[in-house]
Amino acid sequence: MAFISSGYNPDKPMENRISDIGPRKYDEFYPPVIAKNKGKWLYHEIIKPGILVHVAESGDEVYTVRVGGARLMSTGLVMEICDIADKHCDGYVRWTTRNNVEFMVDSKDKVDPLIQDLEGRKFSGGSFKFPVGGTGAGVTNIVHTQGWIHCHTPATDASGPVKATMDVLFDDFQQMRLPAQLRVSLACCLNMCGAVHCSDIAILGYHRKPPMLDHEYLDKMCEIPLAIAACPTAAIRPAKVEFKGQKVKSVAVKNERCMFCGNCYTMCPAMPLADKEGDGIVIMVGGKVSNRISPPKFSKVVVAFLPNNAPRWPETTDCIKHIVEAYAKGANKYERVGDWAERIGWERFFEVCELEFTHHLIDDFRDPAYYTWRQTTQFKF
Amino acid sequence: MPTVEFMGQNFTVDEDGFIDSFENWNEEWVQWVKKEEGIEELTDEHKKVIEVLQDYYRKNGIAPMVRVLSKVTGFKLKHIYELFPSGPGKGACKMAGLPKPTGCV
Repeated sequence: MAFISSGYNPDKPMENRISDIGPRKYDEFYPPVIAKNKGKWLYHEIIKPGILVHVAESGDEVYTVRVGGARLMSTGLVMEICDIADKHCDGYVRWTTRNNVEFMVDSKDKVDPLIQDLEGRKFSGGSFKFPVGGTGAGVTNIVHTQGWIHCHTPATDASGPVKATMDVLFDDFQQMRLPAQLRVSLACCLNMCGAVHCSDIAILGYHRKPPMLDHEYLDKMCEIPLAIAACPTAAIRPAKVEFKGQKVKSVAVKNERCMFCGNCYTMCPAMPLADKEGDGIVIMVGGKVSNRISPPKFSKVVVAFLPNNAPRWPETTDCIKHIVEAYAKGANKYERVGDWAERIGWERFFEVCELEFTHHLIDDFRDPAYYTWRQTTQFKF
Repeated sequence: MPTVEFMGQNFTVDEDGFIDSFENWNEEWVQWVKKEEGIEELTDEHKKVIEVLQDYYRKNGIAPMVRVLSKVTGFKLKHIYELFPSGPGKGACKMAGLPKPTGCV
C-alpha cells in the first residue's frame, strides 16, 4: 500500500510529540452498574459454569458471562467482540488476567440471549469463537507466551500446544468438577514469561544441546563480558580463537557444564542453540499463587522431556490429561494439585500419575538443591 | 546484511541500522546516524557521550550501564534523551558504533 502519513513529520520528530500520558483511566470504561456500585458489593455466586452474578448493597445485580479467548486475536475478532458488546452490553466488555473475555449485563433476562448468541458463533473450521466457561473449580484459560509466532529464543511453540491442550481439557473449561481450580500455563523457554513457575500444571520449552558459536561475528555482535556473566553455571569463558587464519576474540563453552538455558543467546546473537530434535517440553506441577490454606508454591519438574511433536503435541496433551484425571480422582475438595501431591507424598504422586521418575528431576543447582532431598526415613514404598 | 552508502563511504548495517563492527566506525558514520535519528545539530555534548561510550567499550568490552554513563558524562538521563531522542541505547550506542543492545529490550 502506498504510504499514508498520520501527520508525523520525520524531519522534525520531536515537534508536536505527545509523551508520558499513560494508559486511559480504568473508570472511563466502567459499565454504569459497575460505576454506581463500586466498592459496595455484598456477595457473588457462580450460577453455572461461565456465569457469575454479583449483588450490591443497593440490590443491583450484575451478571458476568466469561468466554474463552485465544489471546492471539485478529482485529476482525476484536471487532466481533465489540459488536456483541454493543448488542447486549451497551458497548462494555472486559478482559481477565488469564485473557478470557467477560461480557456484563445488568439484568437476568439479558443473560440467556447473550449466551445463545455467544455459543452460536463458530469459526469456519468448526471451533467455538466464544465458548462459555472458565469459572470455579475447573480449568480456565492457559497463560502463554509468543513461541514461534514472534520470539527468537523459544524451544517450543506457544499457541499450538495451548490449542492442543485446551482441546483435550475443553470439558473442564465448561464444567466445575475438579477439587479446586486448576491453572495451566505455558512458557516457550525458561525465561518463564508468564506464570509457569507458579501454576498447577506448567508446560515449559526446553533445549538439550549447547549453543553453537559463530566465531566470525561473535566479537562484533556481542559484548563478550555480558555473555560470560549470563551463564548460571559459569560454562562460558573468554577465548582467542583462530578463524580463517586470523586471531579473533570469542568465547569457549564447557559443554559438560552447560545446561542449555539459552541465557547466553539472549545476550549474544552469535550463540544460537535452538534445535529441532533437541528441543522439547518439560512438564511441571504443583505451583500456586494464592494464600488460601497453604502458602504460595513453586511448581516442580515431574517430566524431564517430551518431544516437540507439532502440530498437536500428543505426548504433552496425553501427559497433562493423565495428571488432571489422577488429580480429579485423588484430591480432596479445595485441594490444589500442589496441596494434593504434598499430602500424599511425591512418591505416591508419581505412582498415581504413572509418571517415570528419572535422575533429571533431582535438583542439583547449587546449595539449595540439598534442601530438596529427603532427610528423613518417612517414605512410602 | 544491507549496506548504505553515505558521503563516499560504505557501511554494512543490520535491520535496525546498527553498524556491523565497531572497527568500521568513523566520523561519516556519526553523520549518517545523525540524519537517521533526526538529530538537528551535533554539539560537543553529543561528542562527549560518544567518546565516553567508545572509551568504556574499548576498555571493558561492554557498553556502560545508564547510571555509569550519567555519572561519567555528568548528564542526567533526561538530558541524554534531549541529546539522543531514541535514548542511550538506540541512539547514542548506535552513533558510537557499539553492538546492538541485547536481552529483553
